[in-house]
Amino acid sequence: MSHPVTATETTTEETPSVTSATRYKIKSGLILTRPPLLTREPTPFEAAFYLYQKRLNERLAVPFRREFYFRTDTAADLDWRLKLRERHGVPAKDIGRYNPRGRVAWNDEVLVGSETGMTADIVESLLKDAEVRISEDGEEIVDDERVPVERPMPRRTEADEKGDARRLDRALDQTLYLVVKKGEGEAATWQFPAGDVPTQEVLHETAARVLAESAGVNMNTWVVGRVPVAHYVTEPIFAEGEDAATAPKRRGEKIFFLKGRIMAGQADLTGNKHGLTDYQWLTKDEIKRVLPWDYYRSVRNMMADR
Amino acid sequence: MGKLPSTLLRRPTSLYTSPSTSTATTGPSGPSSPRCLLQHQQLRHATFVLRPRRPYQFTQLVQLSDGSTFTVRTTMPSALYKSTKDSRNHVLWQPTEKSLRNIEVDEAGKLAAFRDRYGRGWDTEEVPDEEAEAAAAATQTAHVEAKKAEATQDQQDAAGEDPFDSLVDLISSYSKFDPNTKGGKSAKDAARDEGKKRR
Repeated sequence: MSHPVTATETTTEETPSVTSATRYKIKSGLILTRPPLLTREPTPFEAAFYLYQKRLNERLAVPFRREFYFRTDTAADLDWRLKLRERHGVPAKDIGRYNPRGRVAWNDEVLVGSETGMTADIVESLLKDAEVRISEDGEEIVDDERVPVERPMPRRTEADEKGDARRLDRALDQTLYLVVKKGEGEAATWQFPAGDVPTQEVLHETAARVLAESAGVNMNTWVVGRVPVAHYVTEPIFAEGEDAATAPKRRGEKIFFLKGRIMAGQADLTGNKHGLTDYQWLTKDEIKRVLPWDYYRSVRNMMADR
Repeated sequence: MGKLPSTLLRRPTSLYTSPSTSTATTGPSGPSSPRCLLQHQQLRHATFVLRPRRPYQFTQLVQLSDGSTFTVRTTMPSALYKSTKDSRNHVLWQPTEKSLRNIEVDEAGKLAAFRDRYGRGWDTEEVPDEEAEAAAAATQTAHVEAKKAEATQDQQDAAGEDPFDSLVDLISSYSKFDPNTKGGKSAKDAARDEGKKRR
């Protein structure tokens, strides 16, 4: 504003023309995310790498000394010796049959197609080893009297098996995003909850308000920051023979998306004010198939890989 | 390819001085100094570096109190470790979990028996009674009046009062407001009472 004369000139020039406020509506939306609850599965390469490191460590570390950990001929000692015999003398439970000090110590690679070193195999062998095999009297417990170890919960939940996309306890190792369906029948589109920004509100306030209006208040959510993470622009539509200087037939939209986190609760669309009919919690891959392409393209960079 | 200085300098009889050594010996004092003519030999014999003795490590499955599991490398030979107290059932990480807040567990009924016999005078926190509440509501206005009068009195003689008296009062009253010491109720009872209040 070093030249006030030019500034006044430009304003006088712009006054008759249509400002961008009449051509575009400003909207604010919220991309509500549920963070992953589980770490991801290691890739086959990673699993092979960790197995290699473990077998290498067998060669480098000092040998396991049973006497240091178990008093001789106690139940724990007998239990250990029994399990060690079944593992062919390998103290480690998850590296398969490998002798680091024998003549074939160099042979530390598993064969193609072997399950050794995979996560499922490791967990399985550890659970098998955790089972008590020797009673307190020092006698071996017969097979049908053994108490099996309680198995940990599977990585895939019931909602995963049923394919219920409305549940939040699905795809536990990936981020979920809330998408809502606007309209009925053929004209229905999936989108993120979004609404107009009134003059007296700012983006993050509108985003929080729109979420409460559309998906209910029974969610413990948190809007991450006040800066939009993505934006989507639709161009205004002008009537025949009109140009950009006049008011458009249909105004364009500039939607700014903020990022939100859900800590607890669930979406509830009953009595929403935005004409929403359905909702889903989708992963990045699933969202790609549901959203319109250009809409997805505008938000895809805010989504993490998983 | 030039020879390494160590191989050259290993022969003490050799009169040959490598150019690199001579340049290295010419220090800031200049080549004329007699000290610089002495060759400071750098020895690079291979020395045996002991590999650090690392203990044998197992892979262990750790199960937290909520059932989630992960594997760690540890020297402990047991295959499964079940944690009884961790971030999943500790009030610091689960502040909204009500059952964790109540520290008094009275499953055997010993505390209740004690209270039957000796009353509730020993409780750190006063348990509000319904009758007492009603009485309190009736006398509240009177209390407010009294407090107002007291406050004005305090303001009047604040200058002459010993400040330690009020501090002792403050300390002794502090334990009563500790939210973790809810006396006389198990977690179940507390939850039930809260349900009653809501209704």
